[in-house]
This record gives sequence, structure tokens and C-alpha cells, in this order.
Amino acid sequence: MTKRVFMLPLWIRLWHWSNALAITVLAVTGISLHFSDPALPLVEFSLAARIHNVTGVILVGLYAVFVIGNIVTGNWWQYVPKPPGIIQRCLRQMQYYGSGIFKGEPEPFPPTPETNFNALQAVTYWSIMYLVLPAVIVSGLIFLYPQFSPDTLFGLDGLLPIALVHYLGAAVIILFAVSHIYLGTMGPKVSSLFKMMFTGWYEH
Amino acid sequence: MIGHIRKTLWRLLALLAVLAAVPALADDPPSPAELAKIRTGNAACLACHSEAGLKKPPKDGMDLKALRKYLVHADTYAASDHGQMACTKCHGDGYDDHPHAAKAREELSECQDCHARKAMRIERQFDKSVHAENLSDSFTCATCHDAHTMALASKLRDPHKIVAQDNKICLDCHDSDLAFARIAPEKKKRPPIDDIHDWLPNTRLHWKAVRCIECHTPAEDKLSLSHEIQNKDKAEKKCATCHSANTSLNARLYRHLATEEQHKYGFINSVILGTSYVVGATRNPTLDFGLIILFAATVVGVLGHGLVRIITTRLRRSKKND
Repeated sequence: MTKRVFMLPLWIRLWHWSNALAITVLAVTGISLHFSDPALPLVEFSLAARIHNVTGVILVGLYAVFVIGNIVTGNWWQYVPKPPGIIQRCLRQMQYYGSGIFKGEPEPFPPTPETNFNALQAVTYWSIMYLVLPAVIVSGLIFLYPQFSPDTLFGLDGLLPIALVHYLGAAVIILFAVSHIYLGTMGPKVSSLFKMMFTGWYEH
Repeated sequence: MIGHIRKTLWRLLALLAVLAAVPALADDPPSPAELAKIRTGNAACLACHSEAGLKKPPKDGMDLKALRKYLVHADTYAASDHGQMACTKCHGDGYDDHPHAAKAREELSECQDCHARKAMRIERQFDKSVHAENLSDSFTCATCHDAHTMALASKLRDPHKIVAQDNKICLDCHDSDLAFARIAPEKKKRPPIDDIHDWLPNTRLHWKAVRCIECHTPAEDKLSLSHEIQNKDKAEKKCATCHSANTSLNARLYRHLATEEQHKYGFINSVILGTSYVVGATRNPTLDFGLIILFAATVVGVLGHGLVRIITTRLRRSKKND
């Protein structure tokens, strides 16, 4: 018989899907801007710039919701990998993805209301949300107000390091998003985790 | 009749001789002795026509209100394209003594007296410009180009300086109701410059990084930038013209830096990167390629993993059923 356990409050689900939408829009417009080519426009440059700027500011707001929400509800604790044995648990998780899952082994650390994330998830999510995304957001804000960037650096325009941080950080987030969506299929059923992200209930 | 033809032919020959000689003369800088002589001569003019002259006029009874309009900054003039020329080269008869002759202004040299070939080319472009359309009678070279301050882009080299010099010319009129009204047709109201450019992100920053003429002139002239200044209907509005790997900035603002290294640290258009990071134009193809490969590998990786999962699940199920 299927068991149901409530895992995700409404604010997290709303934040998650708004964030996902914002990241998707930013990725598509960002790619259009970076690889701008008059012969092959994905989204026309000025339109892409406008959408990217507005969505970027929305993402800043969503990030504030995320940080404040986590502090107020205490949810931030979920993102902290708990010792001892963080590395061993990460390796165990990787071994499950690499071979265990093909053999039909059970998920080694299934989610519970107390511990939403396995160690690998906690480490990855923490790095993305508290290192990479802030770097992308701060560099994006400087891009929006380039007068705050240094004038020159190593004989090149001072906006270059800002642009590189923004570009590389965004690339990491896009790579993360691809893996994240795929790992979403690794619940008890392919659809279980997606369903949980909408309803808040984990069925297993 | 024959005499008339002969006279015309001689005139043509004389004109051709002048046309051929002028560039040679212009390219020949004066010797140090000649330059010292020129500077001494010019100092006599600047004794009045400078801030110092205005403060302490060398003569009594001068019309200081009129003088204020005709001041020249010695250092700026010396650094300009005409900086090694004597004032009297253009300000000829009538300017030798003070007060200057009443008709001295009429004796002023015209730009085309020296720049004949250039003037012919530019005139054809100017005739199609929005300035010619609205102001053909009153608009001259000097309306935009102050012969006492202008320096060629190739001489300035630094794109920031080129932009500052050239945009000042446009903005002096187009960003000032007073200056605009002075030469615009009577009923023409100055369009607010920020409002009509509000589609351009970071408008004022663009004006610090590129010239108005980057968008407001056609790109057909290979020798120099066209003088066909175009209004908003014809001006460039496609961002990707500059914001792409094959950026038109190379043929425009950065044309005089074409011989410098173009791929510093592996970036395309790295000459532009020296002064401005231009989204879409100043990219590193190696980095781009690496990231595209990484993205493709991730997508193929997850699809492959998913496929193996499907196959192994089916195999396990069929074994169970057996």
C-alpha cells in the first residue's frame, strides 16, 4: 500500500516553480544575448536584453524570498550536510546512481520530513544556492549597472571578469538544471518526485 | 572661343595641380625652426584670443563681449589636426592688424580650399543627410567641426577620447534646447534625446562607449565614416549589428586599431575588449566550445543513464515473470 507523507510547504513549492521559470527564461535569453548572431536570432537582441533584465530583477526578489523563508521557517538546516560520514554517504549515493539503480536496489537515503535531502543533494543544493547563484546574481546586478564595475583589469575592460563570472556561473546552473530534472525521475516512481514538488506529499 | 577653351583647360590643369599637391603639403610637417616661427606668430593672436587675453586685454577699448566668442585654447589647438598651422593660414588678409578689417571674415579660407578631394566626397554624402534636408543653407563644415579643436580618430587612437570628442559635437545641439533653437528651423522642436533613445538599454553608457554616428550613418564609405547623418527612420536599430562576432564596430569606431592584436587571451575582437565588453562580440570561442561540449555531454549522459535504467528495469521484470 502507498504511504503518504507531507514534505514540502506551499511557500517552498511556489518559490521552486517561480524560480524554475525565471531560470528557464534567463537561460534562453542569456544564450540569445551571448551567442547573438543577426543571421540566427533565438530571441531578438533588444527584446532578449529587456526580458533578461526584468527577469533578472525578479530572480533577485525570488532569491530574497528563498533566503528569508529559509531563515524564518528554519528550512535552511535541510541544506546543511550533517556529519559524520558526509563523504561516505555521498559516495554511497553516487554508487547507487552508478550501479545500484540498474540492479533495482532501493534508494539508500530516501527523503523524510526531517531530512529532505540525501548528503549529495544537500552538498549540491547548498553550493548552487549559496555560492553559484549569488555569484550570478551579484555579477548580473553589476551588468545591469556597469558603472560599478572596475574601469580596466589587466589591460582589458573591467566588465570582463564580471561577465566571465556571470557566464560560467550561469553555465553551471544550466548543467545543474539538466541533471536536477533528470534526478527528479529517481523517486519510487518516475513521476513521484515531480508530483511531490506540486502537491507537497511524498508517496512511497 | 578657342581662347575660352584654352583658359578653361588651364584652370582645370591648375586645379588638378592643386589637388595633387595639397595632400603632399598636408602630410609634410613643418621643421622645428618653421614650427617655432608659427608658434611665435600664433602667440600674437592668442595674446587676445585666449582666457588670459580676455582677463588682461593687451589693448584698451577692446570689445570683450565679442572677443569671448572667439577664444582658442593653446594646448587644445596644438594637439588638434591643424595645430601645426599658422592662424594666418586660414585667417588671411584683414586679420593682420587690430582692429581686424570689417570684411576680414569674408576672406576666411574655406575648408575645401585645402580639403578639396575630401570635400567633394563628403558633399555628396552630406546632401543626403538629415542636416542637408532641414538646414542646407546654414549648415557648414564648421557647424560641427571646430577647426581649432578637432583631431582625427587615427590621431586620438583611444576610443574613449574619440567618442567624447565626436559625441560632444552631436549632443552640444541635440541635448540643449538653446543651441538647437539657434540653428534648427523655426518651428522644429528639439526631441528629448533620452526619450527618443529609451529603447536602447543603458543609453547614456552607450553614448560614452560608442559614437552617435555608429548608428546614424550608413556603412558604405570605405575611406572614412559617411557624412550622411540619418534620422531615426534610417538609423541602425539592430543591436546585433554591433553585438555579434562579426561586429560592425571593427569597421567603425575601432577601424584605426585594425592592425593591433585581435585575439588577445583567445578572445575574438579583443581590441574592442581593451575598452569595452560588448555582449555577443567579445567572446572566447574556446571557452564557448568547451561549455557547449560539457552541456552536450550532460544531456547525452542523462539520456544514456535513463536508457540503461529502462533496459535494466525491463530485463528485471521479464526475469521476474519467467
